[in-house]
Formats: sequence, structure tokens, C-alpha cells
Amino acid sequence: MNVLARSVGNAFRNTIRTTAVVAVLAVAIGLALAMLVANQAVGDKVQELNASVGTVLTVNPAGGQGFEGGGEPLTAATAKTAAAVPHVQSVVSTKALRLRTASSTSSDTQGPGSGGPGGQGAAVTTSLQPAIDAGTLGNRNNSGSTGGTGNGGATQNRTFRLPITATGTGAEVDSTGKALNITSGAGLGDYTKASTKALVGATLATKNSLKPGSTFTIDGKSYTVAGIFDEGTEFGNNAVYLTLPQAQALAGTTGEVSSLIVTVDSMANVDSTRTALQSALGTDKADVTQGQRNLATAVSSLDSVKNISMVAFIASLATAGLVVLFIMVLLVRERRREIGVLKAIGAPNRTIGLQFVLEALVLVALGSVVGGVIASFASSGIASALVSSNTASAAGSVGRRGQGGGFGPGGGGGFLGGANQLLTSVNATVSPGVIALGIGAVFLVAIIGALVPALLTARIRPIEVLRGE
Amino acid sequence: MIEVKDLVRQFTSGDRTIKPVNGVSFTLERGAFASIVGKSGSGKSTLLSLLGALDKPTSGDVVVDGVSLAGLPDSKLTAYRRKDIGFVFQQFNLVPNLSALENVMLPMEFAGLGRAARKTRAQALLERVQLDPEKHLRKANRLSGGEQQRVAIARALGNEPKLILADEPTGNLDEQTGEHIVELLSSLSSESRTTVLVVTHDRGLAQKTQRRFRLQQGVLREEAPAGA
Repeated sequence: MNVLARSVGNAFRNTIRTTAVVAVLAVAIGLALAMLVANQAVGDKVQELNASVGTVLTVNPAGGQGFEGGGEPLTAATAKTAAAVPHVQSVVSTKALRLRTASSTSSDTQGPGSGGPGGQGAAVTTSLQPAIDAGTLGNRNNSGSTGGTGNGGATQNRTFRLPITATGTGAEVDSTGKALNITSGAGLGDYTKASTKALVGATLATKNSLKPGSTFTIDGKSYTVAGIFDEGTEFGNNAVYLTLPQAQALAGTTGEVSSLIVTVDSMANVDSTRTALQSALGTDKADVTQGQRNLATAVSSLDSVKNISMVAFIASLATAGLVVLFIMVLLVRERRREIGVLKAIGAPNRTIGLQFVLEALVLVALGSVVGGVIASFASSGIASALVSSNTASAAGSVGRRGQGGGFGPGGGGGFLGGANQLLTSVNATVSPGVIALGIGAVFLVAIIGALVPALLTARIRPIEVLRGE
Repeated sequence: MIEVKDLVRQFTSGDRTIKPVNGVSFTLERGAFASIVGKSGSGKSTLLSLLGALDKPTSGDVVVDGVSLAGLPDSKLTAYRRKDIGFVFQQFNLVPNLSALENVMLPMEFAGLGRAARKTRAQALLERVQLDPEKHLRKANRLSGGEQQRVAIARALGNEPKLILADEPTGNLDEQTGEHIVELLSSLSSESRTTVLVVTHDRGLAQKTQRRFRLQQGVLREEAPAGA
């Protein structure tokens, strides 16, 4: 029998006590691991949200409203100015176009959204059929613009088709700054050079039977489908992406851009950068907006969840450590005479310390196995409970602010309602790395908890321990 | 050879100073079988713990084969106990959840002996102290008092010590078992040339030893050999 076998045997010397100790340790370790998993999951979510929407600002021409409105167009010089603002990580220029199906162009020029004076829209023809029907609203608007102009009492019945959005972009990102999700084929390569390659939305590709390598026309010129992307919505997928110079050439406005997508280096700097950017570009030249402004509030509440779970992890870990410490103090006191005998027959202090450390590790290993099982079942529920309770309070406060601030009834709350849905989708999965980290921390605490009382007792002269009995 | 030079151990209890060992000096040759007798509380066990390096003297020295224990650090004293000393306690002091065999193997493990070697040696020692082979694997707390004392003696012999210190080895045993244990210790001193020092208040046991000392009020005097 060696020191390890003796330690394992000692751990099971009193079965009832061992069971009780393992049960208490399992609860503490399980809670600690669940909190660590929740912390990791929330941290990942915060990082994901920050990376996607939390740090993106959009710059539009002052007075411009999408394809409508007026004002002066943005230029490459504007993009250069924006890039020079502190904390700006990247600036992507885009140029938006509306594509109209070639056969419908003549009849649809008076349709809705055809572009007012100074608008950014530039309509060109394409061989593509839109993937979305105009629907009742679209046709009603269509008849509204031309209704009542009957010819001899007969109602003119025209077919209205929604335009297809073509966006020239300087990088492989969508309008929110997120990387395009290309589901088949490849990207456009160099987005700063004119090219006849295009990325086509999934529904648009299905509607027109397109796949990578297929061709279609814009303004009578043939384009090759390089890849198919998926933005996750019907409207988002009724679109085409081109390289920026190509879109500018099609619109006949070389050097002009419709909007800039500005990514800030961290969420903490978004507000200050937005102000600095607005000041650098001029309020009469550009509008700087943060599309997901109120999402930032919710993300900050997620940050507080992350902090709460980290505090709870440390508290649970400390509890597990205290349990181990108290148990080992108890065991060492109970076996003082045995320690004295071991010393009397020549056991070095390190052997005695090692024996008690291994005994504690056996108990902690058993507690970790049971605690790991508890954590695997409880972590998801704990993470969801923490997130929902915290984001609900955040939603309440933002919702009230939205109403009081005149943004429209439920405006802020409604928006955050969507954000909440996004936030509460925190997926707490038990990853081996996180579990190993947590158990490693518990083992470290157990080693210290066992070593301290064992070595303190082992340092005493054997006769004091033997006589003390 | 063990030389004890003017050994003093004093304790302070409140405002009183107690000296259970007060200027003790004697010499034991290798292979001697000696006893120390005295009343309860006369300091016999304290003297034994000083000889076995379980305690440190207030002054004086114990020299074993020319090596002074007084100047040795704790780690060296542990090594001294491991290699040169075998303890036999009145309460046996076996580890209760280990078998008889495992208890005997313990000091050999601390001395770094291989598992197979220590198992073979432990079995031989248990046979030497006449423990029934079927009880070798029995837990220590399931053995009778006499059997536990035999296991304790076998454990004390594990690392072939120069000196065996036995504190009331027959104190918890019946007369017959006690006599057997005394014969065993006597044969060890004569056959293995191991020095055996027994502390007892049993005059019958003391009469069987070659040299007898009496400890009274901390002072040690050697009694004249029987028949002298």
C-alpha cells in the first residue's frame, strides 16, 4: 500500500461522513461550475452583440432618407475624414441602387418611391425578377398614385413590382457592419475595383433560378453570380451586392457614396466617437446614427449578469474551499494521534501533507463528478433566469423612457422587446474547457485547504500529539 | 552504543517548574536488554521519548553510535527515528483501518523500500512474532490486544533498528501474553544484537532484563544485577 492507496482508503473510512461531505461539495462545486458556464455564455453573447451591432455607426447625407430626401452626397473624402476620427476601427462605403425589372420599367416609373429631387436613388434596369410580391399595400399605393385617371371611366389596371436593392460595398459586410453570410460560392474578391461579379440574395436567386456561375443583366450588361448570401429576412435577401466602383459606375455618380458604415473600437467609445464623427463631418453635411442605440442599454444589463455570475462563481468556489478546509481541519484534529504515530515511525512531514492532500482531492474529485452532472442540468436554467430577470428590469426602464421621451408609445420598449428576444437566447453549454477551468480552481482550493492543517499538525513534535490524547 | 549525558527535561506548569528527567546519564552497549522502572508519573515515558527523539531535552545530550541528537535538525531526527529506532507503545498505536501487514510495511515505505521487498519482509516479521498467517490481512482494529502488540513489535523491527524503545509493552496484556512478548523482546536483543530498553512498572518484566534502572523524582539509578 502506498500513500495514494492509503489516502483513498482513508477517504472512505467513514462512509456516512464521506457521503455527506461529497453531497455538500457537489452542491457547492455544481453551483460554481454552473455560474462559470453562465458567465462564459453571457460573455460570449456580449462579445457577439458588441461585435455585430453595438459598435456600428451609420453616416448618411444630412436630409437624406434612404432613397428619398435631399442634401449633398457623401464622397470618398468624407470616408477619409471619418476614418481619421479617434476610435474609428473601420469605415466601409456603400452605394445603393434600385433595380427595376426590364419589362416593367416603362409602367412602373410612377410607382412609389421613385425618387424625389436630390434623392440618392438611381434606378437602372435588370433581367432579375423581384422575389417579393408588392402585396395589397404595394398595389394600393400604386393605384393611389395613378388612380382616378381613368380613361373614359375605365380603371387603368397596372401591375406593380417592388424594386430590387443593389448595394455597392467597399467590403464584404452588410448594412449593419456584420460579415455577409455567403451560403454558396465565394465573395467578390477585391471590393475596391470595378467587377462584373455579383452576390445575390437567397430568395432572389431561387426566384430567378440562379446559382454560382449563372449570369443576369444589369443595364444591359452581363453579370456573373459569384455567390449566394443569406441575410435572414425576405427583404434582405431580395438584394444584390456589387463592388463599390461598379455600383458607382452604374449610377453614373463616380466618387459618391450613399452611406458609410463606421465601426468603433469598443462599445464604451461609441457615444464619444459618434459626437466626434458628427462634429468632424458637420451637421449640415451628414447625419450620424446608431441603429441599435437602445440595444446598448440591454447589453450593459447583460454585462451586469456576467458580473453577477462571476461573483457567484467566486462565492461558490470559496464555499467549496471552506467546506474542504473545515472537513480537513476536522479530519486532521481527529487523526492527530495517527499523525503522531506516523511521525514516530519516521514519516516525513511532506508524506503526511501529501496523504491528507490526496485524501481531500479524492473527496473533491467525487464532489466534482456529481457537481459536474448538477451543473450540466442547471447551468442553462440559471443563465436564462439571470438574463431574463435582469433584462426585464432594463426593458421596463427603457420602455418608460421611450414613452416619456415622446418616441411614440412603446417605441423604446418595443425595440428592446426585440432586443430582449435576442438577449434571452443566451445558450449556456457545458464546454470541457470551462469545466476543466472550474474544477482546476476547486482542486487548487482543496490542495491549500488540506495542506494547511496537515502541515501545521505535522510540524508539531510527535510527543505533543501523542501526549495530547 | 547509546550514551545519555546529563539529560534534563523541564516543564513549566503555572508558576511551578517540573523536572521529570533531571540530570540522567547512562550507557547501553549494543544488544543490551534493559529496563527502567518507576512509579507512575516518575518520568519514565518522558525519558523514553527523549531517547527516541520524539521530544527535545532542555539540556544534555543523547549520543547514538557517536552521533549527537542535540544538534540535529527536525528532518534528521525524523530520519533517525525511521532508521535507528523502533517504538512499541502501550496503546499499540496501529493505524486502525490498515491490515496487520500494511501496518508493518509502513516504516519500510517511509524508508523507501520497494513494495515487493517490504511485503516479503513484513510477512517474515509477522511470522517471527508468531501472528497467525490468516490474520496478516485482518484490519488492526479487528485483532486482540496481544495480536496488536505483536504487530506493533513487528512494525518496530521493520527497518532493522539499532534500538527498540518499548513503553509498558505488557501494560494492556494478560500475564501469559505479556510473558510471550517479553520473551520475544529478549530474543531480539540476544539474536539480532538489537538494544532493547523497556519502560515498565511491572517488576516481573524488569527481573527478566539484563540491566535494570530505577527512575525516582527525575533521577536515574542502576539497580544491582539479580544475585549480585
